[in-house]
Amino acid sequence: MANRNERLKAEIESHLQMAIRDRLERGESRAEAEANARREMGNEGLIQEVTRDMWSWNWLSSVVSDGRYALRQLQKNFGFSTIAVLTLALGIGVTTAIFSVVYGVLLRPLAYRDSNRIMAIFEVSSKGRTTRLADPNFDDFRDQNRSFESIAKYSAYTVSVSGASQPTRSVVASVSPDFLKVFGVEPAIGRDFTAADAKKGAGPTALVSYGYWTEYLGSPRDLSQSHLRIDQTVYSVIGVLPPAFHFPANVDLWLPADLTGENLHRTSHNYSAAGRLRDGVTVEQANRDISVIARRIHDASNEQGDYLLKDGTVIPLQDSLTGKVRTPLLILLGAVGFLLMVACANVANLLLAQASVRGRELAVRSALGAARGRLIRQFLTEAFLLSLLGGGLGVIGAFWGVRGIVAMAPGNLPRMESVSVNLPVLAFALLLSTAVAAGLGAFTAIRATSGDLREGLGEGGRGQAGSLGSQRVGRIIVTAQIAITLVLVVGAGLFGRSLMKVLEVDPGFRVDKIVAMDIALPWTRDPAARAGQAVFFSNLIERLKQIPGVRSVGATSGLPLDGGHPDGSFIMMAPNEVPKSMDDLRKLGQQKERLGIADFCAATPDYFRVLGMRLIRGRFFNEHDGANSPHVAVITESLARERWPNQDPLGRTIEFGNMDGDIRLLTIVGIVGDTREYGLDLAPTPTVYVNLFQRPLPHISVAMLSDTDTASVTAAARGILRDLDPEIPSNFRTFAELYSASLGSRRFNAILIGSFGITALVLATIGVFGVMAYSVSRRTREIGVRVALGAATGDVLKLILGQGLRTIFIGVTIGIAGSLALTRTIASLLFGVTGTDPLTFAGVTLLLVGSALLACYIPARRATKVDPLVALRYE
Amino acid sequence: MPTKPRYRNRIELLQGTLDLIILQTLQWGPRHGYGISQAIRAGSSDVLHADTGSLYPALHRLERSRWIAAEWKTSENQQRVKVYRLTAAGKKQLLSERSRWEQIVAAIGGILSHGQS
Repeated sequence: MANRNERLKAEIESHLQMAIRDRLERGESRAEAEANARREMGNEGLIQEVTRDMWSWNWLSSVVSDGRYALRQLQKNFGFSTIAVLTLALGIGVTTAIFSVVYGVLLRPLAYRDSNRIMAIFEVSSKGRTTRLADPNFDDFRDQNRSFESIAKYSAYTVSVSGASQPTRSVVASVSPDFLKVFGVEPAIGRDFTAADAKKGAGPTALVSYGYWTEYLGSPRDLSQSHLRIDQTVYSVIGVLPPAFHFPANVDLWLPADLTGENLHRTSHNYSAAGRLRDGVTVEQANRDISVIARRIHDASNEQGDYLLKDGTVIPLQDSLTGKVRTPLLILLGAVGFLLMVACANVANLLLAQASVRGRELAVRSALGAARGRLIRQFLTEAFLLSLLGGGLGVIGAFWGVRGIVAMAPGNLPRMESVSVNLPVLAFALLLSTAVAAGLGAFTAIRATSGDLREGLGEGGRGQAGSLGSQRVGRIIVTAQIAITLVLVVGAGLFGRSLMKVLEVDPGFRVDKIVAMDIALPWTRDPAARAGQAVFFSNLIERLKQIPGVRSVGATSGLPLDGGHPDGSFIMMAPNEVPKSMDDLRKLGQQKERLGIADFCAATPDYFRVLGMRLIRGRFFNEHDGANSPHVAVITESLARERWPNQDPLGRTIEFGNMDGDIRLLTIVGIVGDTREYGLDLAPTPTVYVNLFQRPLPHISVAMLSDTDTASVTAAARGILRDLDPEIPSNFRTFAELYSASLGSRRFNAILIGSFGITALVLATIGVFGVMAYSVSRRTREIGVRVALGAATGDVLKLILGQGLRTIFIGVTIGIAGSLALTRTIASLLFGVTGTDPLTFAGVTLLLVGSALLACYIPARRATKVDPLVALRYE
Repeated sequence: MPTKPRYRNRIELLQGTLDLIILQTLQWGPRHGYGISQAIRAGSSDVLHADTGSLYPALHRLERSRWIAAEWKTSENQQRVKVYRLTAAGKKQLLSERSRWEQIVAAIGGILSHGQS
């Protein structure tokens, strides 16, 4: 509005002209009149400027001038600004980094069309746990529900694939034909499965991932020549999925399920299931729908027992994928929020000190007519400038931080590929900086401009009494800071102690010097083929034993700390009682008192020796347990205790044929020590080991105990396998890696929260130091007087330390109370310690009080050095 | 910096009184800025001078508070001038500021006379 400026100019000009005219009329000469009128009026430009300030629309240019002024202030106090900006950058940066993980894993929608309509469908067991689906149950859900427009089951597992440019160990998913429809995805090339592809006996077809297509198939547009062999079946590749599609995680090939027919048992939970809701159907409606069907199945089934479903449930797929990591991630976010608060407290204290140093400036400005609102705005502007600078730096830091976190993240943290500093994360950072700015700005503005500023003119020169108020606020901030830091460090301490407790756990097997080789032979039911596989394994193991440095070699159907084993009900049998068929077995299964539940694992005789497992009674398997001799089993200590309390399990016979289809009886020949197969922090599961040479399973891991380096053992083993069968791909892992990976999420939590705790501790110590040093500098004169009146060094020390101790004591008390209340939320993540672990609380309190006292002691020492002469000379 | 004592008998306007004086001046009819400054001078027997640097900001502030309104007119000398007049709200404000002023005068007067006796 240049108009308005021109009109103001005209108004002032008319004033001048009228003044000149009056003077002319009074008889002054023209030159005299003009000069006098101008002198009387003063600086025209200035008049216009101050008048313009009265216009309400002028706020924008005053914001700019506020900003410029604030920038000048920050430049002038470069040290202060740098510390404040860096502190805020640290707080905002770390918070943003953690938020980007929370956003990417928990909040960011799955990358499918209307992904919030995709549901995971579960059975609910008699114990209330959600489980995967049995084939007939899935069929009933699919056929009877009224909630889903498409529904599919899927199951992922690792197989050996040949026929491409090289044999690969790949994760494949058996899926029902509507699988892609549920996700709203179509193949990028070729076609989707049809119902005909899934019919029993249909020609085997496969969909491949974009990555597999480019890497192993050579990216042909025409798929007619692409065939893959899996489990001795040849599959025709009919389609390639879009590059972004990765569900279930890491799958490279999708195959139609049930080409050889379904498993008719309602208690074999082999498939996960997902469905896309019909338009207008809510999650609750779908839940009720599935629940009704499930209970109907339960009531009608003749397979009653622990493994039969009791109910059914529907959960949004995203929640079901991330449910387990939700609590730990939210705890991380909470912890980083605490760190941010501690950082902000330091900056608030800095600003407060700044404000009282600037008391005189404020008083002058206020005396010159600056309104309180205007001064508040000035403070807000400065706080915004600080926060935005800090936030900007923080976001830059967050880019690196996120990379570090992703690299460090444990394998069981899902969706890490969707974690990045993206637009929503940036928006969060901006919002966070703004919130921090508003909080800090309002706080300091109100503190600094409350009361009568003009008093500052009088006493500002000496800068004493007026700052008492702000010193008190400073101490309150430090108290809060100590309290929050204590909560955070207690949390870190509990996580750290949990990790140490887990490390102390005896896993029941050795975790060093073992290299494991995973191989997968074709799945088969043909007894002759399986016997052939047993011979193959035996040959392989004999050859592997010859590798220089390898002491012992054993194989198993599943390694410890690698996802666990299948579990099922076994039946206690009389030695002469031999079931003739699986149906017999099923009937026996109805006699509940004869049942026991255990994990099922196959192992070769030397496996126990390689792992260093303890033999408690009886014997391990040996070379006399051949394919045609009676089948033997070794059970774990906990199973013996649980199923045969006060009895001797040795020599007893059990039937566990429902696990591997072999109904020959098993005679228990040994009891071994428990091993922690599912995790160091989980109780050992009762387990039945069968002899892998008697009951071969096609997917095995061969564990090699060796004194030489991993690389040479791996190279030699790979060579031997290629020599025996070049079509079988392998995968190598060391037990140390398995062990370390199983600690991944604990280590992740402990490291992150630990570093937050340490950072908060440093910040809080700086905070205490700052407030105490400031207080001492403000009380120099008072201390000088005291010293002049005869106070000894000890008295001064006591005076200052006493003040500090009070602050620390209150902060620690509040902190302990807060910790006691808050550690309940992390109780489920702790191991071996309770949320109120006295050792942790005592240690953390000592640490915090110690560092805070140290922070008080330095300024207190300085106070004792006050020279009364110098101090009083200020008067 | 030595200042010339040009107006020996001139008194600084008390803070916050300029608004009251402007409103009072406009009570007798619309005036332009120069007219207001002259009226203050004349009305106070040349004791009070409204500084231009205070007058115009005050006028614009009062205009924004809607206590006075302004319009452009042509003066008898064929000059475009901005003329201010009192609004209804301004009249109310004048009354309240007046009574406040009278309270202050009475209060300070009381203190002064008390001190003398």
